[in-house]
Amino acid sequence: MKKYVLLLVGIVVIAGYAVTNHAKSLAAPPTHSSAVFTADGKLVLPTGFRKWVFVGAPLTPNGLNGGAANFPEFHHVYVEAQNLDAYLKTGSFPEGTVFVKELTRVLNPTFPDGSRTEPSGRGYFNGEFNGIDATVKDSKRFAKTNGWGFFTFGHHPMPYTETAAESPVTECAGCHMAYVSKTDMTWVQFYPLLRGDKAN
Amino acid sequence: MSAKWKFIIGALLLTALVARPQTDEKKGPVFTKDGELVLPMGYRSWVFIGGPITPNGLNGGDAPFPEFHSVYIEKENFRYYQKNGKFPEGTVMVKELALVQGSGHADGSIDSASGRGYFPAALNGLDVMVKDSKRFSNTNNWGFFTFGHHALPYEAKAKESSSKECASCHIAFVTKTDMVWVQYYPLLKANIE
Repeated sequence: MKKYVLLLVGIVVIAGYAVTNHAKSLAAPPTHSSAVFTADGKLVLPTGFRKWVFVGAPLTPNGLNGGAANFPEFHHVYVEAQNLDAYLKTGSFPEGTVFVKELTRVLNPTFPDGSRTEPSGRGYFNGEFNGIDATVKDSKRFAKTNGWGFFTFGHHPMPYTETAAESPVTECAGCHMAYVSKTDMTWVQFYPLLRGDKAN
Repeated sequence: MSAKWKFIIGALLLTALVARPQTDEKKGPVFTKDGELVLPMGYRSWVFIGGPITPNGLNGGDAPFPEFHSVYIEKENFRYYQKNGKFPEGTVMVKELALVQGSGHADGSIDSASGRGYFPAALNGLDVMVKDSKRFSNTNNWGFFTFGHHALPYEAKAKESSSKECASCHIAFVTKTDMVWVQYYPLLKANIE
């Protein structure tokens, strides 16, 4: 009998583990966040964002902005699926939401506007990676800037810096507050998936 | 062992099986009996590798590819390419299209708070390429498919596109990089995850 009891205990442990694991994958707690902060409040460079949902990529090249664009690169913007879904349902992002904006340069311009001609036509193509910015929603930590903190991990080729202090209001938050307070500080008008184009 | 114990152990085993974390859905392309490709699902959780833009405004009002091209591939397939310089059998690449917003300037760009440039409007179609050296041996092992160049929803399935529509240009220009324009996708050139 004793060995059956041992077997039973083993099975219970396995079943319990499986059930717990399953429950974890089903229930995304609202407090979930991929944001990791150091003791002195710096944000740790987000990882794993290539598995998040890519929501869009505006481009405002130097060639169209007097040679000195504020944002000369392609902006590849990522957010986690559960936060995207929550926004589409409620119009605001859950606490702990992280957006990652990865930058790539425009591939070797040949025209004054920064474009080049390739077999597919004249336009703009992705060049080298050139930096990462992130925003984090945390209404306590970032109460002064509408609940969001802004961080820059370098605008240069890899590797990026490992931690970043919050950027001053004038650098990022100011413009978001002025233009997109109503859409939870996010430029949803530039991202088809944030405007509700149905995900496949 | 008593019947009661057998029942308890059996019930627990069943619980363990039912509660086992779900495995990922089937990988790779799905074809109908008559060789049409079924619209790939789940690609938004694949890896986005880049999104060129060749707008109408820079191509005489009639660009072959007027939209943003957002290209997706499964992680294990691009990691394989990074290591081996070719894609494994069964690789699927999805190219989802997004229109360019507005018509502010002649080149198709618009002015926004962040500057003058191009911004994605509505999603506008989906193209796919699949590597299958038996099925597509006539076109360097890749088949090309279009699920519509229009707003959602896309077609549920698609026939292989004619060679002159897609494959021929890939054959002419990017045979050496396994039919993929890797020069436009930094992730395919880098050894990073």
